[in-house]
Amino acid sequence: MPEHTNNGMQCNEFDALLTDALDGVLNGTELERFQAHAGSCKACGPLLVEVEAGRNWLKGLTEVEPPANLVANILASTTGVDTQRLRVTARVPQPRVSWLEHVQATISGYLEPIWATVRQPRFAMSFGMAFFALSVGLTVAGVKPADLRQISLRPTAIRHTYYATQARVVHYYENVRVVYELQAAVRRIKRNAEPAEPGRKQNRPGKQINERNDTTQQPEQKQERNYSQTENHLVLASAHVGPCLKSCDLPVVSVTTYRRMV
Amino acid sequence: MEDVQVVAMLVRRCIAGDSAAWEEIVQTYNRRIYNICYRFAGSGDDAEDLTQEVFIKMYRTLSSYDPSKGAFVTWVTTITRNLLVDHFRKTKQDRMTDSIDSTVSEHEDAQPLSEQIQDQSAPPDTHVRHREVSETVHAALAKLSPELREAVILRDLQDMDYREIATVLKVPEGTVKSRINRGRAELGRLLQRTYRQVM
Repeated sequence: MPEHTNNGMQCNEFDALLTDALDGVLNGTELERFQAHAGSCKACGPLLVEVEAGRNWLKGLTEVEPPANLVANILASTTGVDTQRLRVTARVPQPRVSWLEHVQATISGYLEPIWATVRQPRFAMSFGMAFFALSVGLTVAGVKPADLRQISLRPTAIRHTYYATQARVVHYYENVRVVYELQAAVRRIKRNAEPAEPGRKQNRPGKQINERNDTTQQPEQKQERNYSQTENHLVLASAHVGPCLKSCDLPVVSVTTYRRMV
Repeated sequence: MEDVQVVAMLVRRCIAGDSAAWEEIVQTYNRRIYNICYRFAGSGDDAEDLTQEVFIKMYRTLSSYDPSKGAFVTWVTTITRNLLVDHFRKTKQDRMTDSIDSTVSEHEDAQPLSEQIQDQSAPPDTHVRHREVSETVHAALAKLSPELREAVILRDLQDMDYREIATVLKVPEGTVKSRINRGRAELGRLLQRTYRQVM
């Protein structure tokens, strides 16, 4: 501000008294000097007008209304407790909730995040495709939804179904050409490998000893040798010797008997 | 505005953990703090966030308030002003890219300041006109430098005396008066050009 002196007042003095003048606290000689300087100074006169106008504009501004939830937000962010909400909930009587509703609410509380994820379009498309593939698979396998209605859940029926299904699976498995051919090949290989085994038994003395002591085996040839074929007894067939026979010459029959030697 | 003894008792109860006392403080001062923030920041959303920050800081530092050093409202306003200055420094870069054609008002249908200046047709309703004038003054206030803005807000909108403002701004009373004069003059010049016919 230029340092001009008009009516005994410098411009910086005028500037210092400006707020007091607008506040209405200047009086007497000081006010007269102030007004005289404002009227005569080309810088301070317009300044007074501008300052007064600016103050009037500002005084015309009214207070703005804070947002309705501001106090609740402040209390929640400071004390961590939404007191307004607590007051409202305290005033409103709580409706009686049955245990079933309570359980449903608990379950839905756990399932809601999963369900919210499932409801997303990308997952919905995946589940749709999975359902389509499952239904096609069941149709091809011959499973009809109408059959499911007739399923008996008695334990015996379930057991019967289990064994029937198992038999069907085994039957199907064994009738597969590849499996059959493989089993046949395995049998052939086993048959080819069998003749080599008796030779190996003769080369093992220990095995022979064991076999000799084995009483469950068939009697050995040595034992068979106890049956003697050396005793050939000539047994004459005896018959009642009547007078006619004595006189006739009867043929002699040789009979060989086998007796077991005890 | 406040009874020193009552406020001191309220603060003591708050420090002791009385949530009802804290709620009373929030109910008493939220309007004032929100208005300071709104006029300084220029945006309702920013003002809401800043008001919450002020109360969070108050809640944490309530024990540091000393009634013998000044009124509680001065202490609260000092906290508010310090947070506003921090906010201004943080968002300074953003504001440097703003032009005069940017919409300052929070209302979506509000016109830019330059268009508001040219649009001097007679409004159909006094209420609508008053609202437009308020928005224009609010937009002009945002054009002041932060030092001048805070001084005129505290003086002309919050009716604080010079000594209290000097305490809040931590400058001598003479500087406060000078800033108030310069702020008012700049605002007057800006709005004089806008509402030449009215003036």
